[in-house]
Amino acid sequence: MFMYYIRLSLLSYRRNPVLSTLMVLAVAIGIGAYMVIFTLNYYVGGDPIPAKSDKLFHVQFDYGDPAVPNSTPPPQLTYIDATALLNLTTQHPRTATSKFSAIIEPEGNDIRPFAVDGRGNFADFFTMFDVPFQYGSGWDRSADDSNQQVIVLSQELNERLFGGGNSVGETILMHGYNFTVVGVLDRWVPIPKFYDLNNGSLNPGEEAYIPWNLIVAMELRRSGSTNCWKAPEGSGFQAFLNAECAWIQYWVQLDSTADQSAYRDLIDNYAAQQKQIGRMLFPLEKRLFDVNEWLLEQEAQPPETRMLAALAAMLLAVCLLNTVGLLLSKFLGKSAELGVRQALGAHKGSLFIQHVIEAGFIGAVGGILGVGVAYLGLQGMYLLLGDFLSTGWLRLDITVVAVTIGLAIASTIVAGLYPIWRACNINPAIHLKLQ
Amino acid sequence: MLKMTGINKVFRTDLVETHALRDITLHVEEGEFITITGPSGCGKTTFLNIAGLLETYTQGEYLLDGQNVSALGDYQRAKLRNQKIGFIFQSFNLMPDLNLFDNVDVPLRYRGMKAAERKSRIEKALDSVGLLSRKKHLPSQLSGGQQQRVAIARALVGEPRFLLADEPTGNLDSNTAEGVMELLENINASGTTIIMVTHDPSIASRSARNIHILDGRIAEPQTIAHTETGQLGSVSQASAKTASAA
Repeated sequence: MFMYYIRLSLLSYRRNPVLSTLMVLAVAIGIGAYMVIFTLNYYVGGDPIPAKSDKLFHVQFDYGDPAVPNSTPPPQLTYIDATALLNLTTQHPRTATSKFSAIIEPEGNDIRPFAVDGRGNFADFFTMFDVPFQYGSGWDRSADDSNQQVIVLSQELNERLFGGGNSVGETILMHGYNFTVVGVLDRWVPIPKFYDLNNGSLNPGEEAYIPWNLIVAMELRRSGSTNCWKAPEGSGFQAFLNAECAWIQYWVQLDSTADQSAYRDLIDNYAAQQKQIGRMLFPLEKRLFDVNEWLLEQEAQPPETRMLAALAAMLLAVCLLNTVGLLLSKFLGKSAELGVRQALGAHKGSLFIQHVIEAGFIGAVGGILGVGVAYLGLQGMYLLLGDFLSTGWLRLDITVVAVTIGLAIASTIVAGLYPIWRACNINPAIHLKLQ
Repeated sequence: MLKMTGINKVFRTDLVETHALRDITLHVEEGEFITITGPSGCGKTTFLNIAGLLETYTQGEYLLDGQNVSALGDYQRAKLRNQKIGFIFQSFNLMPDLNLFDNVDVPLRYRGMKAAERKSRIEKALDSVGLLSRKKHLPSQLSGGQQQRVAIARALVGEPRFLLADEPTGNLDSNTAEGVMELLENINASGTTIIMVTHDPSIASRSARNIHILDGRIAEPQTIAHTETGQLGSVSQASAKTASAA
């Protein structure tokens, strides 16, 4: 009977093409708009590193002034504490990391000097976060310890400087220093950018990666957010490093629950010691967060996307309300046919199923069209948001397409329940005589 | 086969109460051809709808093939309609976007029959009304008489025990109506019970028994004589019982 009902749905569409098309358009627009926002939330709200998200931990300390009402401790660490943690244990993969900006001076006169957004990190960063490489690899721990001037390039920067070829072994002049290229990243766009939520969770990754110690050694210009709750004592870079200013993200990989427990004790003890010397006065119960806990804690999903989701849901509701009216008109217009079918042996249950399938059919067509609307909507978002989404991560994948069509079918069936119920409860006798 | 005793039907709204049928008692035996006559609004169609399980009644008892239908739910009533009753309507009630084959197919679809058997039955039914060659045509491509023949094929395809026809010749010219009547008489001759509502006295006179309804009641002969010419050969409630017993 299913195929029979599908055929009847097709015939019904052809019988009332204008009404049916209006319904399909209402569903398509509502679902399409909703799916644009769903896609955004789907990527932003997803687990960016599912294989390791429960093993990677971000450290937070009890910073800030507890006397300031409604204040929360900043999410990053000070230089003092980051370096202390690095020395506390080297047993587990770990990295301090922060952003910098610098000028690259390409060889020759073909390309003029330009600024890049870079990241300082430790060697473990690449293995901890499963960073993919197109050419070469990251550096090893010895490069961290000996301040080797090595650099890993993003695909885009490699394209700009070396035409996309294998540049491993090449030299780059940055901030007046020569850096040797040891690796070129493959496409790597974790969404949200969980390893640094302080500088735009949807921002693209950095263009260049160098050993973190070089930021200090070369006094590179830091970029990204810095929170200070005490003025630095003195001036200059060293004074800043010694100040109560948080600007470093700190991650550690802890594979077992025993490791996690031991490390938690370690940083709790460290925090307790710091409290004894008058630091870390803010009361903080939890200092270690895995990736998903950290995303929740930092509310990585921008509030704007939630507002957009609410607006899109309202638009969908309006479209579906219109669909209810159109379905009511369509199904009640079939009263005579329903009467005949009942006279010929259809019971209300079979008529109900027939019309649920018809509503689902309209929903499916609307959903397919809605995928197109969603695609156009996403293109519109690129146009509107420009560089914000320039990495091309926002796209319709098979999951989004399936959810779009499934949601369209389900919501149209729900919208159709009342019209179907009304249509199935007509008095057939009246309509048989009147037809 | 069909036994109604003291059937009443009242339509109620907030303001009015309309007695459509009052104390209808009627027995119909297998193979009978009965016509129902009466003026417009007398309750003929309501009677037919109750007989065809499309309408419920307010009071009384209705046994169809010995089964009391008052206690049946929608599913069971639909099943009985599908298996035992065929409907023919004045305005044919064919589905305009289904071809003849698919129109005749409708009752079989609700019987869960396999495709091969359905096809065989549909072609046989269309052949019996002389329209097999036009099975792919849409109803709009046929004349009124041909459409009514398709409706008859649709009513017969499920091999029902009886046919309920509501003024089947009402929309047809006299020649076409005669053809349809001959077809119905042949169907009746093959053993199918027919109950037919008609306004046409000449058609009513061709049936073995005529029931005249007036103001919702089966009329006594003298009442008919008083209101009409009496040429319909109408019978009273009592004589109807006598006829069915005979």
